[in-house]
Amino acid sequence: MIRKIAIAVAISQIKYDDQIISANGFISRDLFTTIDKASNFYMIGSMGLASSIGLGVALKNPRKKIFVFDGDGNILINLGSLTTIGTLKPKNLVHVIFDNSVHESTGSQPTNSNFINIEKIARTCNYNYTFTVRTRNNFLKVLQKIKKLKGPIMVVVKIQQSKEKRSKRINILPVEIKERFMRS
Amino acid sequence: MKEIYQRKMLDYLVKNKIENFVGVPDSTMKYFIDQGLKCKKVLIATREDEAIGIATGFVLSQSNSLVFMQNAGFANSISTITSLVQLYQVPMIFLIGWRGFLKNDAPEHTKIGKIQPKLLDAISLQSKILNEKDWKKSCDWALTLIKKGKPCALILTRDFLD
Repeated sequence: MIRKIAIAVAISQIKYDDQIISANGFISRDLFTTIDKASNFYMIGSMGLASSIGLGVALKNPRKKIFVFDGDGNILINLGSLTTIGTLKPKNLVHVIFDNSVHESTGSQPTNSNFINIEKIARTCNYNYTFTVRTRNNFLKVLQKIKKLKGPIMVVVKIQQSKEKRSKRINILPVEIKERFMRS
Repeated sequence: MKEIYQRKMLDYLVKNKIENFVGVPDSTMKYFIDQGLKCKKVLIATREDEAIGIATGFVLSQSNSLVFMQNAGFANSISTITSLVQLYQVPMIFLIGWRGFLKNDAPEHTKIGKIQPKLLDAISLQSKILNEKDWKKSCDWALTLIKKGKPCALILTRDFLD
């Protein structure tokens, strides 16, 4: 499964109004290409902080479901975030890691995600439920299952690098991304 | 700033609708943080940039926030301030402890302490240095700026040695 497919699978199970905070690089670009909506916050810089922004939004909106679309490189650069999320335990936070074991956006240099177990770290940090999936069907099943579960939830989605043409850059001004997200 | 003013300042900001105080502790402002902990408004992050991320999430949810840190952490956060806070124009108040303000402060603070005003200037982050006489005025200035959607910084000098 490549990231674009994995994102499409995730979107098929996420309500239109549920807010998504997406990590910088190809993750945000793929989300933007798959479905652009006001309730998407594309974090185009500040690598590592999508999960922190998602935590802040989740804590203040307990009735909404908040998704973070993260990458392996992104979570490894801000691993401390898992300890803060696991301590504050927002029930409405779903943390999806699209893990291809490389920094694909910068030329596919390796990350260390193949040598450690991100799901296990999240579990140790007191995430309520954690999953690792490798196929489209299993990802779909997990997405359906977690609709009834209390977070924080982590889903590590093992994906392959894509040889497809890369998704286009986000052509909305950052201030506009923020403003429409705040209204969503 | 003496203990009493630090505590008063926290109370004053809470009274003026700052709902969250997120950061990494600095002994320069320990009474300020302690006052916030007492009223359960403080969230301690693992790193300053993480604190800025969480505060961004709060502000995106219409909840006013202050991020506190030592200037070592400010130096760590410059990229986050420019590529998140300033790029998206996320209004928040930074409270930055100025280590290395006194010439004979501990050696690890000397260089950052010396260039701190230049760093603030270089990234065009508006700031005011707090003092015991005018702290309320400086807080009002910061509160007005975030209402206009602009991030800004309040600087707390380390005026004692331990």
